[in-house]
Amino acid sequence: MIQAVDYIRVLPEIVLTLFGVAIMMVEGALPPRASRKPLGWLAFVGTLAALAATVYQAGYPGMAFFGMVRVDSFSIFFHFLIAFIAALVVLSSFEYLDAQQIRGGEYYGLILFGAVGMVLMSSAVELVLIFIALEISSISTYVLAGFRRRAPSSIESSIKYFLLGSFATAFFLYGVALIFGATGSTRIYMIAETIQGGKHSAMVFTAVALMFVGIGFKIAAAPFHVWTPDVYEGAPAPVVGLMSTAPKAAAFAVLLRIFFAAATPGWFWPVWISAALSMTLGNISALVQDNVKRLLAYSSIAHAGYLLVAFAAARDIGISAAMFYTAAYALMNVGAFAVVSHFASAGERYVTLEDYAGLGRRSPVLAATLTIFLLSLIGIPITGGFFAKFYVFSAALKSNLVWLVIIAVVNSAIAAYYYLRIIVLMYMRDAREPAPTVQNVSAPLGVALALTVAATIYLGVLPGRVLDYASRGAALLVR
Amino acid sequence: MSAAILTLVTFVPLAGALLMMFFPRRDELARWFALVVTLLGFVLSLHLPLHFTRAASGFQFEINIQWISSPNIHYHLGVDGISMWLVVLTTFLSPLCVLISWKSVHERVKEFFILLLILETALIGVFVSLDLFLFYFFWEASLIPMALIIGMYGHERRVYAAVKFFLFTMIGSVFMLAAIIWLYARTGSFEYTAIQRAMQSGQIGWEAALWCFLGFFLAFAVKVPIFPLHTWLPDAHFEAPTAGSVLLAGVLLKMGTYGLLRFNLGLFPEQAREHAPWIITLAIIGIIYGALVAMVQPNLKKLVAYSSVSHLGFVVLGIFSFTQAGVDGAVYQMLAHGVSTGALFMLVGILYERRHTFEISEFGGLATPMPVYATFFMIIMLSSVGLPLLNGFVGEFLVLSGAFQAKAVYGILAATGVIWSACYLLWTYQRVFFGKVNRDANAVLPDISARERIALWPTALAAVAMGVAPLLWLNAIEPAVRAVLSPLAQMAEGLVR
Amino acid sequence: MVPISYYLVLSAILFSLGVVGFLIKRNLITLFMSIELMLNAVNLAFVAFAWQWKSLNGQVFVFFVMVVAAAEAAVGLAIIIAVFRTRETLNVDRVNLLKL
Repeated sequence: MIQAVDYIRVLPEIVLTLFGVAIMMVEGALPPRASRKPLGWLAFVGTLAALAATVYQAGYPGMAFFGMVRVDSFSIFFHFLIAFIAALVVLSSFEYLDAQQIRGGEYYGLILFGAVGMVLMSSAVELVLIFIALEISSISTYVLAGFRRRAPSSIESSIKYFLLGSFATAFFLYGVALIFGATGSTRIYMIAETIQGGKHSAMVFTAVALMFVGIGFKIAAAPFHVWTPDVYEGAPAPVVGLMSTAPKAAAFAVLLRIFFAAATPGWFWPVWISAALSMTLGNISALVQDNVKRLLAYSSIAHAGYLLVAFAAARDIGISAAMFYTAAYALMNVGAFAVVSHFASAGERYVTLEDYAGLGRRSPVLAATLTIFLLSLIGIPITGGFFAKFYVFSAALKSNLVWLVIIAVVNSAIAAYYYLRIIVLMYMRDAREPAPTVQNVSAPLGVALALTVAATIYLGVLPGRVLDYASRGAALLVR
Repeated sequence: MSAAILTLVTFVPLAGALLMMFFPRRDELARWFALVVTLLGFVLSLHLPLHFTRAASGFQFEINIQWISSPNIHYHLGVDGISMWLVVLTTFLSPLCVLISWKSVHERVKEFFILLLILETALIGVFVSLDLFLFYFFWEASLIPMALIIGMYGHERRVYAAVKFFLFTMIGSVFMLAAIIWLYARTGSFEYTAIQRAMQSGQIGWEAALWCFLGFFLAFAVKVPIFPLHTWLPDAHFEAPTAGSVLLAGVLLKMGTYGLLRFNLGLFPEQAREHAPWIITLAIIGIIYGALVAMVQPNLKKLVAYSSVSHLGFVVLGIFSFTQAGVDGAVYQMLAHGVSTGALFMLVGILYERRHTFEISEFGGLATPMPVYATFFMIIMLSSVGLPLLNGFVGEFLVLSGAFQAKAVYGILAATGVIWSACYLLWTYQRVFFGKVNRDANAVLPDISARERIALWPTALAAVAMGVAPLLWLNAIEPAVRAVLSPLAQMAEGLVR
Repeated sequence: MVPISYYLVLSAILFSLGVVGFLIKRNLITLFMSIELMLNAVNLAFVAFAWQWKSLNGQVFVFFVMVVAAAEAAVGLAIIIAVFRTRETLNVDRVNLLKL
């Protein structure tokens, strides 16, 4: 039976959908020349409402809709994170859309719809529902990637993302079909029972491999990462901030559920290899990039690799480390892309490294903000990135993955170089002539940046509470 | 009060820096504010020696609060006789750095002082942390402001120097982090004393402990720097602005020697004893090599930088002699070197402000236009040489006597270093200050201003005071050193025989 | 009666055809059709398994997949039209502003 409490357990999804639909309807009613800012604020209120709904929902843990959705600390963690990211992205989009002269309220609606899919991904415990949620989030982001309609690069980014994304989901779906065939169910907890009952047919292994391929595309882990730099380079910068973090977080949540809650076998070595490859390829390719968005794209591949290290650690500490890493990474990356989007100006003109030369002199606050995010990406203390790496490495060390940790440590040292290059350019080189103009930071973007900086530092100074919460979620998963 | 004092001393500069971020961009305001904050820090830090129980050997003014539950990280601060003086040294040099940068830093002034204050907090934090994690935290934190100070305010090749500095120390400290995490994984604690107990109880295998020892050693050896790893130092010093050099030589290098003493000796006494011979060899090579390179250096600032390599060789030698006198002397030498080399860099910086060059051949006969400056230079230079009744003497004497006790040949070789340093410093002094004024530009150089005088007097007074009344410092250092050496006592005996 | 493995092999062949088509074809529409082929291969597998487990779930999943595929097609074709407008070509090799 469906009870009232079932609806509470999907409350954030409902709230986001309602706001998204409202935005779409109002968009149609607005005269074409009218400002779309109010729609943006409506979207922001929607994300805040989703945050509130998440908090409210935390009091009603349990299964809903015939065991298809499960609300527990694990899903609450990701709900909160995704809604928070969506709020930040909405805030940092106002100014960007103005600068690019994009007048389309559906932009905000799509962000909310995307968030619906991602939120649902993290609480769904039924594979077909996960697939549908994945598609909801993907289809919105495909469109968002092409939102700079007049820029050929943006359209190109969109089509690449669309083709490779659908290609990957087909793999995921085939995996779902096979696991359904092998176990007779698509519910993660039923699958777990069957698998623990000792049914390890070749089909299960194939299914896990196929699902890993599908999700691997979404999280941009090597060797499924080739689309990432192109898509990130072409897509609008705030959208990249969104799609490099929130869908990834959701996809990691799915992967964690499949690997640990469903206790599927045979994923250890693929994950190990993928982690090592992602870190190495991502970091080495990032070394030679001139375009900041491409550089951050490769960096995000590398970070997916660090995250997979935590997966390979395969214990409750590994899961909580992965969750913490997702959160820390999401915050610093959203922040970094917010700065990039502000600095890029009309037509995304200023996105090469050269353009950042002398930024420390011309715009000290903006440069300092970006520096904090970059330091966090390197993993320097008092930033969230440090504890994220720390937890991952110590989880891996406790599981005796010495080689993987060595690869990761060497990679972090390599990575320090290209992040530092940006900092060095900003502070220690003079701007080229004529220097790119830097507009003043608008209030919403300023709030978004302040929030991300504060959150990054908070995770770097007092990681305890977030980690505790993540550990609670992790404990539920390994049970 | 005594529980909060270390927190106060550590974080007052940081609080000042945070406040300053919200200030309007007025250079004069930033300067005065930085001066007030650093002076406040110094006054607060004086509380430590005044209320320190000198006979006791353990940590004092301790504060221990759980900071993060998983991993089990504590906010654990405390000082013993060794670290207390290093804290005071840091707070003592900081206001002088502000004074000496008053005019020489003229653009992005606010940012400069913010960085300086953040750096001060990080440096103090390194010395007061008793939790390995916290220690690492401050250790890394000190890296960024220093690299930025070099890279933003330095001379022509500043970016190269800053990146080199950053990468050298970063790579070194990654190994230390690995060792720290490994120790945590085995002992379940980051606490210095807890890990020390675990080591003494033999909970950790000899082989594994050796790897940890080497991890720590590499990080500290880069920082000191010990001979083959020193190449970042001359570049960093040469390119850094004066205040950067003062803190670099005065405090940052001491982080390395302090770490060697506290962690390599304190946690891994057996491994330290086993590996002392080659470390001492490197130290002695450093002493002689640094002195010889300084001798042929045409550049005044690089000369002082190389003299640092030489003097810190003494400190390492003293630490690894495992004798009471040697380690006492090493600690004393750290303080003395901080004061006198800090002052030397200030003096060189003052000259640079006037002539915009560090080439020794550009100067000559400066005693005529700048008599007061020449006098200060003389005092500081003599203290660096190690003249009796000045601070350098006490440290070097103790280190040498410790080295002789350990093995005569160490003492003899190191003693030549003293002679070398007398040679190059006196010779430099003669070339720069005596003789006829050889350049027209030099004839009209103004003598030091009141502000510069205020910056120099404390160092000169400290140099004399530390030379005349060493016991004031040593009676706090000795018990702490004895505590560090106690597990080594029998082993050190073996080394003497 | 046809054994289940026949269906599965057919499904696998169709899926592989889709994958190969996606990798070697150069026309955007053809790529898109390859993906549809892959999805339909999955549908076949779902139906076959539904029959094997005697459960209706598998059949219902097919409807979900079809709906999602339709939604994807709508968005995908719209994007393809946008590409055609800016480039006047549907050849992937010429849609190469961004280095791959």
